[in-house]
Amino acid sequence: MLYLVRVFGVLFLGCSSVFAEMASIDDAALSEVTGQSGVYLTGEISINEEGGPLNDDYFGSCIDVTKVCGARIALQTQQDGGWFVLDNIQGSIAFEGLTFQLRAINSGFGGDGLLFNRDVIEIGLPETLKFDEFQYTVATSNSERPAGAASTFKQVDFMTVEIGGEVTLEGNLLVFPTP
Amino acid sequence: MFKYVSLMALSLSIFLPLSSVTAEMKSMSDQALSEVDGAGIGLVMDDFVFSHGHDTANDKTFRISGLTDQSGAPVTLNVEQLYIARAGSNYGSVLDPVNLGRLNNPFEIDLLNGDSVGLAGKAVLQLAAPTKVDVADGYDCLDAAAVLGSGTCSSRPSEAGWENGERADLGLELQVNVGVETPRHLNFHAESAVFDGSYVRLWGDDAAGKMAAEFRVNFYTPELEISTCTKLNEACGSAVKMKGFAFELALGNSFQPLYVGADAITGGLTLQLAQLTHEYMANLVPATGLSDGSAEGDAAYAFFNDYYSNADYRSNVAMTEMEIGGVSLGSAKVEGLLIQHLDVKFRDLEP
Repeated sequence: MLYLVRVFGVLFLGCSSVFAEMASIDDAALSEVTGQSGVYLTGEISINEEGGPLNDDYFGSCIDVTKVCGARIALQTQQDGGWFVLDNIQGSIAFEGLTFQLRAINSGFGGDGLLFNRDVIEIGLPETLKFDEFQYTVATSNSERPAGAASTFKQVDFMTVEIGGEVTLEGNLLVFPTP
Repeated sequence: MFKYVSLMALSLSIFLPLSSVTAEMKSMSDQALSEVDGAGIGLVMDDFVFSHGHDTANDKTFRISGLTDQSGAPVTLNVEQLYIARAGSNYGSVLDPVNLGRLNNPFEIDLLNGDSVGLAGKAVLQLAAPTKVDVADGYDCLDAAAVLGSGTCSSRPSEAGWENGERADLGLELQVNVGVETPRHLNFHAESAVFDGSYVRLWGDDAAGKMAAEFRVNFYTPELEISTCTKLNEACGSAVKMKGFAFELALGNSFQPLYVGADAITGGLTLQLAQLTHEYMANLVPATGLSDGSAEGDAAYAFFNDYYSNADYRSNVAMTEMEIGGVSLGSAKVEGLLIQHLDVKFRDLEP
């Protein structure tokens, strides 16, 4: 057993020496790093679409009202208060051509570009977003999640928003530090 | 036993490096955080267009449900079109790109030092639209053809040399379905709209144990149209047109913040503006409203004098002309509205 322990000891020493290779890089050194032409992202985000991977009459059944379907985000703004809730978040969002890159701006923008003359991070929005049975419910609730007795859990649903099909979303979001 | 101890020593040596890393983390007090005066993050939308609508023939859905009418019948709102595009969109039929925010005056997310906004020792999160500017550098907020030096809005209208402009057409067309009734329509269209000078400030109120907020919502448009026609268009006869529409809402401030929350029992939304008070209020002479001569009285007088006279705390709604079904009703104004106390609680009507 002691032998085994020693082996472990050596193993972990090796690991720590790898961490020691990490060195911080200062602003001057970092400014020498030039980026490539950015990142192009294509993807699909799916949240509990059709009840998840297994949608039979028991698991992931969104028709059964006694079960919970979809994600829930709860936010509390007061100590011992109620909760703001985004409930039943489900469906999928697919996009093609979301881009990230650095862009030097020194012209355009109705004359603002020349005065600005700086680099910005440009997030290029995809031309279209494809939603598939995406929905969420805006609500307020007295509990972060429907736990405990059903009689004590209260939630006031304001509205449910359902989105499907191709949504036009064009343009570039420019992000930069302000003084 | 020896083996056991060795193992313990080993596990200690594994956790030691970890614990030394954790020890570097320190919590920051509000006071310390308020000293942080970091650069904010500027956001500008360049060549932006957003549009979506409910159109089952083309496999598009955009629906708001979960609402009920007075008798409990479900109400479904089909969003026939929601658009943000360049001014001159002709009710959303021409979707050209627009810019939102200027490079030298963008939308901004910032952490403010509370000392500079009347919240001593607090860190304040601010989300802000482009700020208002001096008249010499600004454009008339209500004129879709404004030129430099005509007003206080920083965002520029679309013009030949800068087609995008920073003022967008905003529109929302709703089809209202109540039970089996014939669908009705409700449409909103704002031309060349700007939000300059709007901001939301959020901070933690230790004494109340609540998130406190200050809202300033400014909305200016040369024409806001609300109609009930099948589609938004210029020929719609049943339209209310509000020309030269200016809406300036002031809700909450540093000494009387707005608390937005949810009720811990009913789960309903709550909006509160606490009753205004001052620690030296007793030092004011009731008959005259003036200070009793003490330093405390002077402080109380200065505070209330500012509260009642400062235009920054007041809300305004104004339009230069209101037109209903083609008939002009002239101008309308509600000015200097001071919200002194607010306690709104929402609750579900269903048992």
